[in-house]
Amino acid sequence: MGVIVLQLFAVPEGKSGPQVIDILTKRVTSLGGVLSGSFMVDCETYTSVASLGATRSVHLLHNSETPASVFALLEAASGNKTVALVADNLFDLLMLKLSNFYQAKKQTKIESRGPRFEAGDFLVKLGSVTMGPTFKGILVEVEYQACSLPAACWDLIREFMQGFLGGCVPSTPPQYIQNRFGDMLGPIDGINQYLEQFNAFRKTTGIR
Amino acid sequence: MEDFFTNNSVCVSVEAPAENLVQEIAYDGQEVFQLPLTLSENLTKQAHKIDWIKREDDDNDDDTHSATVTTEKKVEEDSKKADFQTSSWPWDSVRNKLRSALTEVCVLADVLVIAKDKRYMVLDPVQQEQPDQRQLAQLFSKKRGLTAAANILLHGAERLKISQSDTARAKSNQDFHLELLRLRQSWTLKKIGNSILGDLSYKSAGSRFYQTGIFEVTKSEDPDQELSLETTSENQSKQSMIKVTIPPELGGTAYIQVTIQKDQDILCTTNVNLLHTSLIHSDPSRDANPWTSKLEAAQNVLFCKELFSQLAREAVQLQAAIPHMVVGNQITASLFPGIQLSIHFQSSYSAGVDKRQLVSNNSTSLVAKVDHNYILEHSLHQLLRQVHLNNVGQPVPHPSSAPLGPTKRRRLAGPHAYDRDELLLMTKNESILEQIIRQGQHVVLRLRTMFVIDSIAREIRDPLIISHWNVLNSPTLSCVKIIIMTHGYDTLQRTALVVHVGEKTLKCVCRDGRVLQMSYEPQELRDLILCQISQHQINAVQSLARFLGWHVASSSAHLGLGPVEPLGNASSCILSSPSGNRILSVRCGPQAAQPQVYLSTYPRHDTEKNKVLTDIRWEQLNTRYEEVRLEKIEGRNFLSRMELLMASLTCRLPMNWE
Amino acid sequence: MAGNQNPISAIDMLTSALRSNIIPNQEYLLQGSVIDSSAEVLHNRLRGLCDAAETGPETFHDHEMCFSLKASSPGGTPQQQQSFLLRVRRALDHPEYPWQLRYLGQPELGEKNQPTVLRSCIDIACTPNVVEFLSELGCRIEFEYVLKGYLFRKGRMKVTMSKIFRMGQAKSPDSLEAMTGSYLVELSLLAPSGQDAVADEIKVFAEQLRPLVHLEKIDYRRLQSYS
Repeated sequence: MGVIVLQLFAVPEGKSGPQVIDILTKRVTSLGGVLSGSFMVDCETYTSVASLGATRSVHLLHNSETPASVFALLEAASGNKTVALVADNLFDLLMLKLSNFYQAKKQTKIESRGPRFEAGDFLVKLGSVTMGPTFKGILVEVEYQACSLPAACWDLIREFMQGFLGGCVPSTPPQYIQNRFGDMLGPIDGINQYLEQFNAFRKTTGIR
Repeated sequence: MEDFFTNNSVCVSVEAPAENLVQEIAYDGQEVFQLPLTLSENLTKQAHKIDWIKREDDDNDDDTHSATVTTEKKVEEDSKKADFQTSSWPWDSVRNKLRSALTEVCVLADVLVIAKDKRYMVLDPVQQEQPDQRQLAQLFSKKRGLTAAANILLHGAERLKISQSDTARAKSNQDFHLELLRLRQSWTLKKIGNSILGDLSYKSAGSRFYQTGIFEVTKSEDPDQELSLETTSENQSKQSMIKVTIPPELGGTAYIQVTIQKDQDILCTTNVNLLHTSLIHSDPSRDANPWTSKLEAAQNVLFCKELFSQLAREAVQLQAAIPHMVVGNQITASLFPGIQLSIHFQSSYSAGVDKRQLVSNNSTSLVAKVDHNYILEHSLHQLLRQVHLNNVGQPVPHPSSAPLGPTKRRRLAGPHAYDRDELLLMTKNESILEQIIRQGQHVVLRLRTMFVIDSIAREIRDPLIISHWNVLNSPTLSCVKIIIMTHGYDTLQRTALVVHVGEKTLKCVCRDGRVLQMSYEPQELRDLILCQISQHQINAVQSLARFLGWHVASSSAHLGLGPVEPLGNASSCILSSPSGNRILSVRCGPQAAQPQVYLSTYPRHDTEKNKVLTDIRWEQLNTRYEEVRLEKIEGRNFLSRMELLMASLTCRLPMNWE
Repeated sequence: MAGNQNPISAIDMLTSALRSNIIPNQEYLLQGSVIDSSAEVLHNRLRGLCDAAETGPETFHDHEMCFSLKASSPGGTPQQQQSFLLRVRRALDHPEYPWQLRYLGQPELGEKNQPTVLRSCIDIACTPNVVEFLSELGCRIEFEYVLKGYLFRKGRMKVTMSKIFRMGQAKSPDSLEAMTGSYLVELSLLAPSGQDAVADEIKVFAEQLRPLVHLEKIDYRRLQSYS
């Protein structure tokens, strides 16, 4: 497991989502990326019923990259604390059993799906984000698989990303990575970034 | 007629049978009937049988006797007709008969009435005497029955007597039950109904082969055996009380033969046979329990069958570049271009001719027989047993509430968020055939490597090439250390290199730390060793020179001068004597048998004194290099000759040096 | 898992799996107990009957916590007020294994001729922060205990012989205090729903243990009413 950096790619004026994906696909391919299937990350949010006291919400995420796992991110009632549980697929089944206490918000299921490329040690995923039927924007995931320490490979990742994303990649790492710059990162860190982005998408209307 | 007494209401009808008389029976069994009589014929015939004794008007007298109603009706009918034809003469006898019949019926009726009242007359059954003939027959059948019963009893008694005398005579190990107990200790037995069944299959060890290995255990009680037992008392120990019946398809012996062949030459053969040849040749009488060998042989057949069917299934399923072939009892897979691995299933039961043919084939290639290789045999066993073990040994869940089944890695996959590649890796399972092919490739490659090293060692006597094979190796990786040195100078210079023999490639680690990857072509290794030898010679001669006080003026491992070597580069060095007036140049190429040595000295011998250049320093110019004919120098090998050469050149100081 | 196919959403995959009845979510269960002094006899019997006799029985040492989720507000419907139990179990002797989160449905005793108790069951392996997750979710810990014993396999059946220990005040697994002088014996089989034939398989096996331990359908509701 390497370092995953998730980058929002603003859709330029007058372009549609698939067009942007096409352009990025060409750029990644010219960088040596080889198409290897597609990917999907989805997120569904459940909120506690009123009778359970303070409101809590559980975000249930699946990543096609880790098909045997379910990520359940619980936003605690107390405040900013988030508990991230990683479990077997059957956790979904349990969530259905909990429907008396936690109910899925209507029309908030959000997902990012698109092509997946391999370029040496890099894994590039170009995802179009949709919430329900509406297109919300584009998220580019870059994973450097050879290293788990962002401090050791951020510059490499930045350079690679700037190579096909251009100026939208900042020279400083994203806040999430910066907070854990010296730590070993794992799959859950990718999921956390997706959740951050998804939550931002939900708050905005229209295309980001 | 008894009904007559009990109840008056019962009707007894007397009628002619419905069917016609049989006139003739044909040979095919068909019956030809007589034509039925016409109505009038019938009437005449019937009427003639009747005795017309009684008159018509008397008929109604006995109203109470309804039992006779039917007869009477008939009589009535007939009498009507008779009345109708009274005048006709032929019916006269009929009338008379009818009349007498009526009389008799009336008498009978009267008797019956009297008997029924039981006032005047009682009917008693009359004891009839049995005919003598029937008694005789009964006696005869009784006698026959008794004889049969006596036979059964006698037979049983005989068996009892035999078993009793047997137990009395036999030692404790002859006892059926004791032997059964002994059988039970090593084989699964079960009692079903009256028979004892055993299982020799590997099911309990995890085999999922469809064929069952049920055998039946019976008590052996062949009277002939007993006789022979009595006659030859020394054979007594051979006799077992247990007779084991194995299914016919597991009879005989079977083995799996693995051969690696290059076109037609067999490189290596292996016979997989659980019991090796010891079973076939061993004398069963030496065995304490004859059934042991029989059961083990059957088990071996079962094992070989399972192994072969597994291999055949995998051969069909595997998608290889060159498809594996399964023909009859043979599987062929290609290891390297031109080299095939073939696996035969040989059974003495089915293909006796084939086997002999094969043996003769093998005997032509005696080398193959000598090079009997146990590795493939052993690993085929191991591989199938590993499959069995995996079937049985499922991982145990922790904590205990976790579901049974998934492996530990699979359990960790969810919480540790394993990615797709890792999950795919988990599902990958190498088949037996793939593994045996890899091992076969390794065997071929190892044989080739051995051959290359040995042939070089044989060709090149100087320097010596010593190869040391590691005893411990894995089925697909072995390791050889090659040491190049000169006899007598082994402390001076040793060049060592290590070759890792893999499945398809060789990895060679040289002394200077270089790692070379080579393909399965033997020529590559040969070239490498030759290069190493030439470098060894140069290095050794340098060490020797330093040892003798000579200076190494220059040395090069990759010389760019001189004739171009077909492979690799020649290496060379230039040595100067302690006094500097002798210079030796040594050149050694990978393809040259012996190094070439050139000598140059000063002062120059050809021009005695230069008239123009009188200064002494011009005399120090070297002469042209001249080749030294090394073979003329005394010495066992190159280094000893060089030592002699250098020593001789050192001591001879130039004449006008002082 | 094939790389080139469009990934299907996990929920779709799960519902299709549920529909085709391949998820083993039904537990067939029989329980009984054996007094300590006779435990060894049963242990030997089980060793003889169960698979992998040559490797010997596997021991286990688990810690189980039971959490309940209750809606506190009085306005809820009765169904919502019903508490929802979740169990968390970890292997104390194998800390590298994942923790197990377990949901158990109401045991169905069924008809008298139904051979075993049937309950729905979801086993989820998860990361050790599940305790924190559950407490943040609103669950309260109801009770906890430590189980120590032996585990046997017979085909798809699982037989456990376990001794239950009270968690000491120090909450450390070392301060153990046995609850009873007997072993809990459980015979269970996990299967997808609709495979009721396996219940008979369990029954047959239970019959083989009959002289040593009576494995029965235990009615918890009745047990609770006694106490």
